[in-house]
Amino acid sequence: MTRVFVFTNHKGGVGKSTSATNAALGITSMLRRAGAANSRVLLIDTDSQAHATLITTGMKDYGTDNSLYTVLMSDRQTAAQTLLNSIVQSTWDENLHVLPASPMLEGAERELMGVAGAPYRLAEPLSRIANRYAAVVIDTRPSFSLMTEMGLIAATDAIVPVEPRYLETVGLMSVIGKINDIRDGWRQPNLRVSGILITKMNNRIRGHNHLLTELKSHSVLGNLIMGVVPANEAVSYAHQNHQSIFDYDYKSPASKAYMQFVAKLVYRILKGGA
Amino acid sequence: MPPKNTRRIDDLLGGVTEEMLAGIPQQLQDTSLRVERLLLEMVRPDPVQPRRVLPENLHTAFHNNRLTPTQALKELVQLVQVSARQRGRPFNNVLELLPNPDDDGDDEQFAQLSPEEQLLHDLVNLAVTIRDDGQVNPLTVVDVTQGVTQQFRIETGERRYWATWLLRDFMPNYSGDGMIPCIIIPAERSSVFRQAKENTARSGLSAIAMARQAALLLLTIHGYEIPNTAVANDFYRQALDLDLRGKREYTEAILSAMGGMKKGYFSEIKALLRLSDEALELADRYSIDQYKLRYVLSLPAEYHAEVVRQIVDLNLSSKQVKELCESDSLETDDQISFDKLPAAALKMAKVTHTASTVSAQDVARALIQQEGDVTIAQARLKSFQKLLAEAERYLTEE
Repeated sequence: MTRVFVFTNHKGGVGKSTSATNAALGITSMLRRAGAANSRVLLIDTDSQAHATLITTGMKDYGTDNSLYTVLMSDRQTAAQTLLNSIVQSTWDENLHVLPASPMLEGAERELMGVAGAPYRLAEPLSRIANRYAAVVIDTRPSFSLMTEMGLIAATDAIVPVEPRYLETVGLMSVIGKINDIRDGWRQPNLRVSGILITKMNNRIRGHNHLLTELKSHSVLGNLIMGVVPANEAVSYAHQNHQSIFDYDYKSPASKAYMQFVAKLVYRILKGGA
Repeated sequence: MPPKNTRRIDDLLGGVTEEMLAGIPQQLQDTSLRVERLLLEMVRPDPVQPRRVLPENLHTAFHNNRLTPTQALKELVQLVQVSARQRGRPFNNVLELLPNPDDDGDDEQFAQLSPEEQLLHDLVNLAVTIRDDGQVNPLTVVDVTQGVTQQFRIETGERRYWATWLLRDFMPNYSGDGMIPCIIIPAERSSVFRQAKENTARSGLSAIAMARQAALLLLTIHGYEIPNTAVANDFYRQALDLDLRGKREYTEAILSAMGGMKKGYFSEIKALLRLSDEALELADRYSIDQYKLRYVLSLPAEYHAEVVRQIVDLNLSSKQVKELCESDSLETDDQISFDKLPAAALKMAKVTHTASTVSAQDVARALIQQEGDVTIAQARLKSFQKLLAEAERYLTEE
């Protein structure tokens, strides 16, 4: 079964899009480098701000006929074909494919509210084409909206990027609780909280170090930590240039941290299990 | 701001992969055959597959992307509905094509099915089997994915593909998810020889399909590029100038792929591509055997379709075809006897060829339009009937 990683946190600015985009590229590059027969990765952007779409495709003017919005609004029978037709190639890598977001997604949530089966409108068509990909990565919006629920229902592994600050760490528990609610409430036994990714870590801030130590020592959360990405100016510059952190500055601390994180994801893809 | 860099990710990966993925990379290089369930829309039949499932015009329109699979099937159903109505067995739902177990006269009806009716009947039968028992044999498909366009070309199993579409879009109570099980073969391992073996191993491959198959193999070994779109008969006819000489290394493989046939028969089969386009289509549609068609080749191309139609309509034996073709050759050599006949008589004789292509209703309408009055039209028809009866009497005497 293809692993579907969803990067989610209802707090904004924690690095969901940065992590999702770089993880997607990292997975495809690492699999290709290792000689995998299939190294294609699909990145799905469910955030109406379309930041992941913008930096990976260089465009954000996707609309009603060539984006995730199109898929969500199509008939059940044609949704998978529409999904295939809406996928574009990333400018980062030929094997990184993107299902772009659209500003119209904001309206889609309202339009789909109360429509029977609405939360499955992404999971259902995705399940029919996911086996064509080595992995699927979903970027979500900073809220627990219908769109985020759709992403979680379609996923097998939830990864929670979190800044090592007090309020964010408190919020982490509610994120994990919400994911568990979705797993139980929507009967998605395959979905699990697969990892926590600490982002924007600054070793010079005492509070960051303190919270990281506390997280690591926690009996459950400590085992979930999959990586610590340092705060790094190169990330912003990479965004500005519509490049991945790896291509922008492969020697930067953030590049190295993301690659370590990607290696863990690839290991899970290949080995299976948590 | 630091300078914009080019691709550096591979440099970074160099140090990470080995240590992080110890032991796993070997698992990745698995290039064995895979069986996966694929979305129907991702799968496309092979446009140059010698065994045609759809009638020629629908085959061409579908492969030139003028019809979607559903539209192609809709056209086929409509075609069969017209044909079935003319034969007095109209139907609304494709399921009505299946034989009724309580009806004793089925065998007789079955024998009279037109090729299109027979095709749809077989597809419906297959679709019902898939619906009731699931699809036991996966299709064999070649992964021809390019970029974000994910596509798989059918190597074997085109009938199952169409039956699944029929099941999905034309039959009630479909509970599937629009997926079809397929054995996926990497593009570099695709083989026309395997396809040929699959085709010839099964019964029902017409002589014309065999000719196309032979042509395809010859064209492949002579390095011709096989296109990805529907091809005209002229594409296969290029093989008429090619043979197995100079390609000794492939001779055995080709003859074996063609079902273990002899060289001489291979050439005879290939020669069928000399038939005119219309004759080829007819002969393929009605699965006319090579031993009947070979005599037709001795005639000029403009007579091919006419003789093949006679083979179909009159169910001629090979001996009768031989006699017909030999006498026709004599007649074509001696045009004087035809020239002496009145032009109107020749014109009327020609009309007999098109009798099966028009409906009685259309003829009646045309007569009314021509005469402007129903009574006069009836009178004209009566005198024509009289003429036909007399002509038949002359034929009996001859």
